[in-house]
Formats: sequence, structure tokens, C-alpha cells
Amino acid sequence: MSWRASTHRALAGREWFWPLLLLMLWEIAGRYDLVAQGALPSPGEILTQFWHDRADYPPHLAVTARTATLGFLLGNLAAILAAAAFAVAPRLERLARGITITLFAIPPIALVPILVIALKGEAPRIALAAITVFFPTMVSTLLGLRTIDPRLSDVVHTYGGGALKLLLKVRLPSALPGMMAGLQVAAPGAVLGAILAEFGSGSRWGLGAYLLGSLGQANPARLWGIGLSATLMAGGAYALFALLGRRLNVDTAAVTLASNSAPDLIGTPGSNSLAGRLFWIAAAWIVGLAAWWLIIAWLNLSPIIAYGPQDVMRYLITGPRAAQNWQRLLPAFGETVPLAILGLFCGLAFALVLALICRLKPALGAMILPAALVTQTMPLVALTPLIVLLLGRTLAATLAITISVSFFPAFVVLTQGLAAVPASAREVVAVYGAGRFKTLLLIDLPASLPHLLTAARLGAPRALLGVMIAEWLATGYGLGNLLNRSRGMLDYGMIWSVALLSVLVAIALYQLFAAIEHLVLSRTG
Amino acid sequence: MNATGPGPLGAPDPGTTRPGAAGLELTGLSKSFPAAAGERLVLDAVSLSCAPGSFTALIGPSGCGKSTLLRLVAGLERPSGGQIGIGGLSPDQMRTSGRLGIAFQDAALLPWRSVVDNVALPLEVLGKRQRGQDAHVQELVRLVGLSGYEKARPRQLSGGMRQRVAIARALVTRPDMLLLDEPFGALDQILRRAMNLELQRIWMADRPTTLLVTHGIDEAVFLADEVVVLGANPGRIVARIPIDLPRPRTPEMIYSVYFQTLQGQISRALEQGTGR
Repeated sequence: MSWRASTHRALAGREWFWPLLLLMLWEIAGRYDLVAQGALPSPGEILTQFWHDRADYPPHLAVTARTATLGFLLGNLAAILAAAAFAVAPRLERLARGITITLFAIPPIALVPILVIALKGEAPRIALAAITVFFPTMVSTLLGLRTIDPRLSDVVHTYGGGALKLLLKVRLPSALPGMMAGLQVAAPGAVLGAILAEFGSGSRWGLGAYLLGSLGQANPARLWGIGLSATLMAGGAYALFALLGRRLNVDTAAVTLASNSAPDLIGTPGSNSLAGRLFWIAAAWIVGLAAWWLIIAWLNLSPIIAYGPQDVMRYLITGPRAAQNWQRLLPAFGETVPLAILGLFCGLAFALVLALICRLKPALGAMILPAALVTQTMPLVALTPLIVLLLGRTLAATLAITISVSFFPAFVVLTQGLAAVPASAREVVAVYGAGRFKTLLLIDLPASLPHLLTAARLGAPRALLGVMIAEWLATGYGLGNLLNRSRGMLDYGMIWSVALLSVLVAIALYQLFAAIEHLVLSRTG
Repeated sequence: MNATGPGPLGAPDPGTTRPGAAGLELTGLSKSFPAAAGERLVLDAVSLSCAPGSFTALIGPSGCGKSTLLRLVAGLERPSGGQIGIGGLSPDQMRTSGRLGIAFQDAALLPWRSVVDNVALPLEVLGKRQRGQDAHVQELVRLVGLSGYEKARPRQLSGGMRQRVAIARALVTRPDMLLLDEPFGALDQILRRAMNLELQRIWMADRPTTLLVTHGIDEAVFLADEVVVLGANPGRIVARIPIDLPRPRTPEMIYSVYFQTLQGQISRALEQGTGR
């Protein structure tokens, strides 16, 4: 404890030096339009513009804050109830897996047009915020509920307590840290969801609407101001729950790990035979499709805009225009998916290099981690116009966005994985005079391989989202563009098809990496 | 001394010290760590000398700095004061020339490497492993009783087997100085006794100068030529008890009066060391 405190004091001076230097360089580069013909305004110019726009911000901020908060509350309520139900009835979790994995894998942007069609007013924005927060909270709460000391359950059962008593007395209290960690990660997600839905909903107010309205004004300082406000809001929400967690004296050390926990970390109840597994997979698919069908029926929407599973099947397979529809879908996929994979790999490589550098120079890691945290809480949509300003409507911009979304989770997974390597393993090679580099080569690099695959698995849906957002807002290629154009052409079948297929692609990528990870782990332990 | 050559590891040769083994010389060794208020003295002016090829056990209460002492000799920590000489060389000179072997309480095997590759790890670090030159490594694996498990991964092994791999790894460079930090601390009593017999057999094959940190009084007496009892707060030597038992030692000796007397002596010294 005291050792940490003293290291912290020693670092305090250096922690300020680099950010200040960076800020100064930024000011100079912005002031003299050194980067991308003035696309990078200086901090001073951004603040001046912000002051100039100060009257515009409050209504936009208020609307985004309200929808994000409402979505956050609803989504987390649903997530915690679902986690409690899944903890008591594991088979229910198995059945609902089709739905939960969809919620994990779906690029939220693919849902925007659908939500806008199906719901009115603020409802689409609240719904998207709720959908973005559901998965992280549900998984981290469920993990907390599941991983209890088995002796504690023995104690409760010894005194005649049943599943409900166990839930109340043991599971809920021990799930609190996980739940807080999930809420912490979910909070910026709610802001992202709300802003993303503002883009597609045609609403007048909200930071997303403000950003969209400012895109064509050739005023980079204003775009930066909006992007930074959105980041501040998301970062503030994150910090709020971090503080709350600390106040509740809850250990949030594994914060980001909890949100990164994969669906398959949740154990499989019942039969593990092949037939049993196939049965549960089939059941999960059927339940997922049934839920889709039921929601459409329940919302009682016009069949022209609301497509059920059978309608999408007609549109893509049995209908007379199916072949033509594929002719538009396939090239879009061909443009989007390889880019997503490329961006994911670049993000992973970047994360690996940085994690290893931080291993060599821990002081550097202490500085990079907060910066990485900022890029994580920065709402993706707010980031996109800025990157496009810097890099143009190019492939590089798309890649930069994809890398920036897949980098941080991978970095966290890798850093935590490397920290978990026992010190004695490093000492064994140190005894024979292995330097830092040799230790890296012999210990850290092989140790990070499984974590790299975990990161790939978890990052795949995010990478897909990154590419689609770039395409929607900037480049005019691929699935994101197809989604945006179909919205304008009222081609509802295409909107539903893109949403469905992007979920399937995300799940397929996820399963692919999960299979490789499984293979590697089974070979090396 | 060539570390890679397939040495004469087979037949135990009781009573002879190895010519290459290095004696250990500690003079006024101190170590303190930064603490809440100033510094905490963990080791206070420890002086100790161990003859080449001898087996010394360090025993003491928790926090007496016995593991720290071992880590100082291994060059994993820097002393705050005093000298460490191993056959006239510094710990750093020893370790970078592969003359030091170490095993910890947790086996610290690399899960992605097979038994043979784990044992050969030090050779790789030293840049002395050559393809197809693993005869020596294979022989060590056999010596620690793991024939047939050469290709196995650590997770396929039991706790005792993993410890054997760790000991084989510590011996792979034919070290002049062997450092063992509670290598059987995580094993149960019965397995521990068996492993102690094994360790004696393996040690007698090559006779490196050995420093063993342990919590077990019977283990210390059974294995060592001398038991050094440390006291805590700060760590210092409170007694040095020579063990005058012939080698190879047998399990029956444990029940001899002499063995019991030595255990009693160590127990009393330990009590003195804790209650100041």
C-alpha cells in the first residue's frame, strides 16, 4: 500500500509534463494550420468557438442527457432483472442466448433505421441507449451472481434455504462489484447509443443532431467542441459510476474485464453431449426468431415497414426480387467485412505493441492507460467527423476509426493478461540473466496469445460497427452506406436485411475467433 | 565449466564434493524496503559462509527475510548493505554465466511449453540450447522421475510432478549454486517426504552448493548439512545447527533419537527468534 503511494508521488510530476507538452504542440499545430489544412483547430480556437456557441449547447446537452439517462435506467433495469432470472433458472439463460448474443453482436447503427421506423418521438433514442447498456450490465451482473464461494451456498442450503434465499443473501451482495463495474462501462455506452440514434431520427435537438447540422459548415472548431462535449458527458458518466463504486467500497479493479466478458463465459447447464448442445443452439435460434416475430406483432405496425422473419426470408430468398436484392447486398458486404477484419487486426497489433511497451516501461503504461480510457469513452459518432476532417473521406479514415474502437478493449485485455503472468515465471528467466527484451520474447509474447484471441473475439462486433459508422457518415461505401441510402429510398426490406446479416456476420466472426481460441487453449493449457 | 555437456549425472557418488561447486560467502548482508514510515529493515547484518558442495537449510518464522536472503543471492534483489560472494563471483556474474539454479514454491512453469521445453528454458535464455542436443535435458527429466512425460504440458501434471520439472529446470545448467525457495511448500506431508528423498538423490548426483528455504523442521534436518535458524524483525541469524548424519539419509533416520534431538534444538531456537 505504502509502496504504491510512494511510487505515485514520484510519478506525479512526470504525469503532468507530457500532457502539457502535447497540449502546447497541439496549440501550435492548430494555430498555424499545420495539420490537414486547418482541419485540426487549436485548443484555444476550440474554446473560443465553444464560448461563441454557448447559448446553443444547453438544449442539445439536455436532450441527449435525458434520453441517455432514461435509456440507461431502462436498459439496466432489464439487464439486472434478466441476470437475476438467469441466475435462478440457468436453462432460461440458455434459451435466451439467441437474444443476448444478438444484443452483444448487433452494430447499433444497423438498428437505428428500424427503431426510427418502429417507434416515435424520443422512444428510438431511449431504446438504442437501453440496448447498448443491456449486455455489459447483464453479463457482469450474471457473472457476479454465478461466481460465488460454493461453501456459502452449502451454508445457506444447510439451514434449509432455497434458490431464492441464496439469491437474496449471497448472490446479490456478491454480485454488487460486478454490477457496479458493468454500470460503469455501460454509462458511456448510453451516451453513444443516444447520439447514434439522434443521427438517424431526424430530431432537432441533441448533440448528435447538432453535430449532423454542423457537418457541412466548414467549421472544424465547432465539430471539435461538440465531440469534446460528448466525450466529457460520457467520461463524466463513467467517472460518476467509478466514484460511486468506490464509495460503496466495491472493488472495481476488473472493471473493463467485466464488460469484456464473453457470452460463453456463462457456463452451459444441462447436457454437454453433441445432441444436447445442438438442441440448445436450435432452441436459442428459435427463441430469438420468435422474439423478433412477437415484437413486430405486438407493436402492431404496418407490414410495409415492419418485417418479421418470414418477410425478410421472402425479401432475400423466396421473393421474386431476391436475386436483385442480393446483387446490392453482396458487394456492400464485400466492402465492409474485409475492412472490419483489417481494422480489427491493426487495432489488435497496435494494442499488443503498446501493452508490451507498457510491460517494459510501467511508468509509460501509467500515462497511456488514462489516455486510452478517454478514447474509449469518446462517443464513436462524435469521433468520426473529426477523423474524417483529419484524414479525408478515405480508406485511411475508415481504418483509423475501426482501429480506435477495437484498440482499447484489446489493450485492456492484454494488459490484464500480462499482469496475470506470475512474477516467479519472469524471475526464473531473470535468474539466468534474461534482459527485458528476452523476457518479453520468452514469457510475455507467448502469454499474450490467448488474450489476443479473446480480444479479437470481443472486438469483432465493435470493428464492424466502426466501419459501418464511417461508411454511413463519410465514405459512402459498404453496408453503412447501403443502410443510409435504403433509408432515403424507403427500402425497408433492405434495412431489415442489412441489420439481420450484420448481426450474423458479427456472430460468425465472434464464433470463428472463439473456436481458434479454444483450439489454442486446448493445445497449450 | 561447460554447462551443456552431458555430465556424469547417473551414479550418486556419496562423500565427494564437486570441484566446480562454489562456496557462498555472505558478510554483513542487510536489506531494507521502503515502508509507510521510512524504511523497514528486513535483514540485519547477516554473515554466513557455506562450504562448496554443502547443503544449507534456512528456517525461520514468517517475515524473517529468509526468502529475501535467497533472492539477494539470486541477484533478484539488490542488497542495502554488505557483500555476497559465490566462489568469488557476484550474483550477477553467476547468473549470467548459468552457474545459478533456482526453484520456487509455485513451480512457475510456462503453460505453453512441454516438460522438456520448460526444463530447457534456462539454456535458451543463455543462448546455449542447440537443436537435437537435448540428451542432457532428457536425462534430467529421467533423473527427476518423469520418463514418458517429456512431451506433456504442465496442466497435465500433478502438483508433485510440476515441482519435479521445476527442480530439473533449476539443475539444467549444472549450476554451482542451487537456490530452493520452499520448493515443496505447496505439497502435502506424505508427498513432501517422498520428494525430499528424491531431492537428496538428485542433489547427490551433482552436489551443487545448495541453499534451501523451508518451513519444515524435519525437512531441514533431513536434507541439510547445516540448519541456519533466522529470527524475525529484523531478520538475523539466531542459531546455526550442524547436522551430523551420514548420507544418503534414509526415512528411518527420522525416528532416531539424534534426529529428534536436532528437531528439538531447532524448535527452541525458533521460539527464541520469535519471542524477543
